[in-house]
Amino acid sequence: MNEPTVFIVDDDQAVARSLRWLIESVRLRVETYASAQAFIDGYDAARSGCLVLDVRMPGMSGIELQERLAAQRIRIPIIFITGHGDVQMAVRAVQAGAFDFIEKPFNDQDLLDRIQRAIARDAEQRDRDQQRARLRTLFASLTPRESEVLDLVVEGLSNKAVANALGLSAKTVEVHRAKVMEKMHARSVSDLVKMAMQRQGWG
Amino acid sequence: MLPASDMLWLALVVLGGSLTAVLIVLGVVLARLRDAERRLDERESRHESMLDRLQENEYRLRTIIESEPECVKLQAEDGTVLEINPAGLRLVDANQPADIIGRKIFSVVAPEYVDIYRENMRRVFAGEAMVYEFRAITLKNRVAWMETHAAPLRDARGNIYALLGITRDITEHKQAEEQARRHQTELARVARLSTMGEMATGIAHELNQPLSAIANFSRGCIRRLRSGGMSPVELIEPLEEVCEQAERAGDILRHVRDFVRKSEPHLKPMDVNQIVRAVVKFTEHEARQQRTLVRLNLDPLLPKVAADAIMIEQVMVNLVRNAIEAMSEANSSRREITISSRLFETDFVEIEIVDTGPGIDGSLIDQVFDQFFTTKPEGVGMGLAISRSIIESHGGTVRAESSRDGGAILRFTLTINTQQSSRRERADSIHS
Ligand SMILES: Nc1ncnc2c1ncn2[C@@H]1O[C@H](COP(=O)(O)OP(=O)(O)OP(=O)(O)O)[C@@H](O)[C@H]1O
Ligand SMILES: [Mg+2]
Repeated sequence: MNEPTVFIVDDDQAVARSLRWLIESVRLRVETYASAQAFIDGYDAARSGCLVLDVRMPGMSGIELQERLAAQRIRIPIIFITGHGDVQMAVRAVQAGAFDFIEKPFNDQDLLDRIQRAIARDAEQRDRDQQRARLRTLFASLTPRESEVLDLVVEGLSNKAVANALGLSAKTVEVHRAKVMEKMHARSVSDLVKMAMQRQGWG
Repeated sequence: MLPASDMLWLALVVLGGSLTAVLIVLGVVLARLRDAERRLDERESRHESMLDRLQENEYRLRTIIESEPECVKLQAEDGTVLEINPAGLRLVDANQPADIIGRKIFSVVAPEYVDIYRENMRRVFAGEAMVYEFRAITLKNRVAWMETHAAPLRDARGNIYALLGITRDITEHKQAEEQARRHQTELARVARLSTMGEMATGIAHELNQPLSAIANFSRGCIRRLRSGGMSPVELIEPLEEVCEQAERAGDILRHVRDFVRKSEPHLKPMDVNQIVRAVVKFTEHEARQQRTLVRLNLDPLLPKVAADAIMIEQVMVNLVRNAIEAMSEANSSRREITISSRLFETDFVEIEIVDTGPGIDGSLIDQVFDQFFTTKPEGVGMGLAISRSIIESHGGTVRAESSRDGGAILRFTLTINTQQSSRRERADSIHS
């Protein structure tokens, strides 16, 4: 897995450099960008970490960047840094899905803690995403008939009932069922049920 | 003895209000009749029938005044109450005439109004008819707002020997007015503060950048030093950054001054006397609380000046407030502010604000306009600095002096509105 990076987007270069200096002190990888556009152009969604954003920026604002990322289904956690009068703006950003915000002037430990939490959240998210992707390929490996069998088994039907429902012999159902278990790497019916439920969760 | 024209003059000059005018005229008639009576007595007049008529007239007038629902009273020059009608007795909560007749009127005037009341009386005895308000504390310690219409009473030789006053309780009206005024001053204060507040927010925002950069660089250094394994040389660069950011913060503060100066006035042809009167209204409450008398000495024939009325109001409020504060801090016994307007050279109007406070120490005269220069524990020291930048942005000048008899004199000039600028003004309004 790739090393988490703290992406800093701040039009004030001195502030950006100072944040880099501070955050690197806890041995985190840091990249700075001078504008929201520069970040969008340079960011590869596969890279993990978190984003530290100034709410107020000329050109594309921090809030707009958040919207753009959301539209592209990029869910890297965002920590907004706000000035004095912008707290309400930040609250709205958090309601719109930003991870957190911190008001300037801030305590350094406070910022570093939030960054660590954001990175942890990103890792979890990416884990879950990976799991889903794996499940998706597993489901995709089933033939249409196997899928039908799976759906009914998961509903709790016995082999006989499945056979009746699909107009197949009990023997054939038995074979399909064993194939499904194997392809899905499931050790039991309850494993299958769990996987099916997960699939439903993300529709 | 009582020429009709005299009565008419009194009636017109004293007031427009018909009832009060009638009463005053009646009062004058009464007083003169009594005066005539006295003189007749003195001479042991042979004209008995005339005296009878006079007494009869007085009796009738007296009946009218006695039954008059408003307070009617006569006062001597020293404030002694000579006569008062039943309505007057009720107004001051007197049980019988002896409670107030023969006593000084000041016994029912609130302390902070005594000086102003005396001054008004002085003017009436100098021949002026006046309307004035004051806070009264009645004989039963009830506090009430009063309005008096006062006129001088003259004897046959034209000498003023008494003040005739008709007084009404205006407490309710006053409370409504006070509320309106409080609202207005509050608005003015908010307006003033919000521009200052906006400026402060802007400055705070600007300063936040270098300050947080400084904090971040420094914290980063401390963390590395704590965890060790860091060579001192590596700290040079971030520390240089810290210095740079501190300088940046200093630059921002230096710009604040220009920021203040740069807010452009919106010049319009303005009547400076009108601005003065508005300022007197804004500061009336404070002046009254500090027992300060504000006099106006305005040239009524001044040409219009090119001014941003709100800004000039702000300047004058600053100056008047400073004067009030100076006199109350120094506990001056005489507290007067005189605001004058006059033509200055050919192109300017000069406004002068003179007080009777301690004045400004000669060694400080050059400093009082500096930002943050203050001798007051609660002062910010921005009043005169802002005032100067406003006046200069209007093309005028402002100076401070100490007057020979001790107080401070603050003068500023405004340029007379020229034809050209008023044409430009018109053009502006067409384009906008
Ligand atoms: N009329 C005056 N008489 C005596 N001293 C005065 C007078 N006006 C100003 N000063 C002096 O000048 C100083 C600066 O006045 P300025 O109005 O700039 O600030 P301030 O009144 O102290 O505070 P603020 O910013 O609240 O107005 C005052 O503190 C006072 O010492
Ligand atoms: Mg002041």
